[in-house]
Formats: sequence, structure tokens, C-alpha cells
Amino acid sequence: MMWKEHYRVGADLIDNQHQELFKRVSSFIKAVQTKAPWEERKAEVLATLEFMQHYVIIHFSDEEALQKEIGYPAADQHTEIHENFKAEVGAFANKIEQEGLDEQGVQEFAARVMTWLIMHVAGEDQKIGQFMREQGGSQ
Amino acid sequence: MKVEYINPFFLATVDVFKTMLSLEPRRGNLRAVEELVPVSEANVVIGVTGALRGSLLYSFPKDMALEMVYIMAGMRMNELDVFVSSALGEVANIISGNALTYLSQNDLLCDIAPPQLIIGTNGSLSMSTEKAVVLPLHTDIGTLEISISLRATSNS
Repeated sequence: MMWKEHYRVGADLIDNQHQELFKRVSSFIKAVQTKAPWEERKAEVLATLEFMQHYVIIHFSDEEALQKEIGYPAADQHTEIHENFKAEVGAFANKIEQEGLDEQGVQEFAARVMTWLIMHVAGEDQKIGQFMREQGGSQ
Repeated sequence: MKVEYINPFFLATVDVFKTMLSLEPRRGNLRAVEELVPVSEANVVIGVTGALRGSLLYSFPKDMALEMVYIMAGMRMNELDVFVSSALGEVANIISGNALTYLSQNDLLCDIAPPQLIIGTNGSLSMSTEKAVVLPLHTDIGTLEISISLRATSNS
């Protein structure tokens, strides 16, 4: 399983969305790494990618709203990190729209998304949880 | 090469391995080598420019590389394919970026180039003309070796 309990931030909405996101990225990796011929997997890879792309936007926007609500001091910086990642995912989506879906490019992208998500959730997002605990309240 | 260039890479690897892999690397003995040579199967080379110029070589044993990907993805992979080597490239990239942040605290401002992936242990890397220091980092799943070849540029 890709999701680990220590990735929890301590806000239910965010933790549930993170778990869903990890599940989606995990399905994406599975679709990318399965041994079946590439042509047979293309449609599934594309569908998982599209869903993930939409889900990332919903989740980022909910997480940013939570940060505002609790007065998280590094909210602007965190939003910028989200914007950069959205731009990167958007650029990849444009690329496959123009050039088609190539297996190697998708494998590289899946590795990038996996490592980004883990580093972000286990690193940057934990600071939100830490701030909430320091404020002594729950959401 | 100055030893003060080495510690940031140790600190950055500890940060990144703890966060991403729940592993705490232990520092092995440093050794000097004449050139950058891949010691293990999965290798990532990253160029450095700015106040310091040179190359970094991250060398992961195959079993360690596959175990790292298992910890991250929760899925077993059996070969050093594009997905696995790209994931290693990303991890090496994150470590290097964090190490540069430590270096910048000593007023050494540097940039890194995108990671180059090399599978296999054949030969040395011709881009290296300088001696390197090898930093072994022992973990419960194997030993990563980072070869660091950096020198100060004249205007720094």
C-alpha cells in the first residue's frame, strides 16, 4: 500500500483526500507498470491521469481554504508550491495532447508524481498539522 | 576538495530519507577517489554550477533501489526500468536541492542540472577531471554512496 499512517496531517478532510490521492496515484503507477502491451493499457493510463489531474485541483483548493481558515502563516508559499505542481501536470497533459502518449514519458511522469506527492505530504503538509497542534485546536 | 562541502549532503540525505522512506542513514568513512566511478548498479549523475562547480554521483545497489521504490509505491518492482530509475533520479534530485539549501547558508549559491541516469557499473564518467570524495550512507536496506566532486569557481 502506498499510503502510510504517518502521512496523516490531523485534519480529517485533508487526510481523507490524501488517502484518495495516494490510491489514485497507486492505480496510475499500476496501469503504467503492468506488463500488458502498451496499446492495451493506453486508455486506462489516460483515464487515471485525467481523474488524478482533476482530483489534485479539488484537493489543493480545499487544503488552501483550510490554511486560510486556521490562519496558517506559510499559506502563500504553500499555494505557490501547489501552483507550480499544477503547472507541471498541466504541461504534461498538453504534451501528450500534442505528441500522444508514449510509454517512457508516462513512466518518468509517474515516478515524478509519486516522489513529489510523498515528499509534499510527508514534508510540507506536516507543517500544517504541526501548526494546528501548536494552536491547541482541531479543525 | 573542502570537507565543508560534504556535510550538507549527509544532512540532506538524512532529511529526505527520514521523510520519504522512514529510514535513518548512518554515515560511513569518507574516502578519496581519482574519478567518479559507479560502484553500484543504479546511478544518478547531477551537475552543479554556481559558486561551486562539478558533479555528484549517487550510486544505489539494485536491491536497495527496488526496496526504496517498494517503500514509496507499496508495489514490488523487479527491474531497474524507466519508472524505478526515474524515481531514484527524483530522490537524488531532492537530496541535491536540499544540500544546496544548506550550502547557501554558507553563502555558496549553486544550481543543479536535471539528473542523468546510468544503469550498470561499467567505466568511469568522463565529465570528471577532478578528484572526488565518496560519502557512504548505510541504511537498513543497503548502502548508498554519494561521490562528490566540487570545486569553488574563481569568482566566488
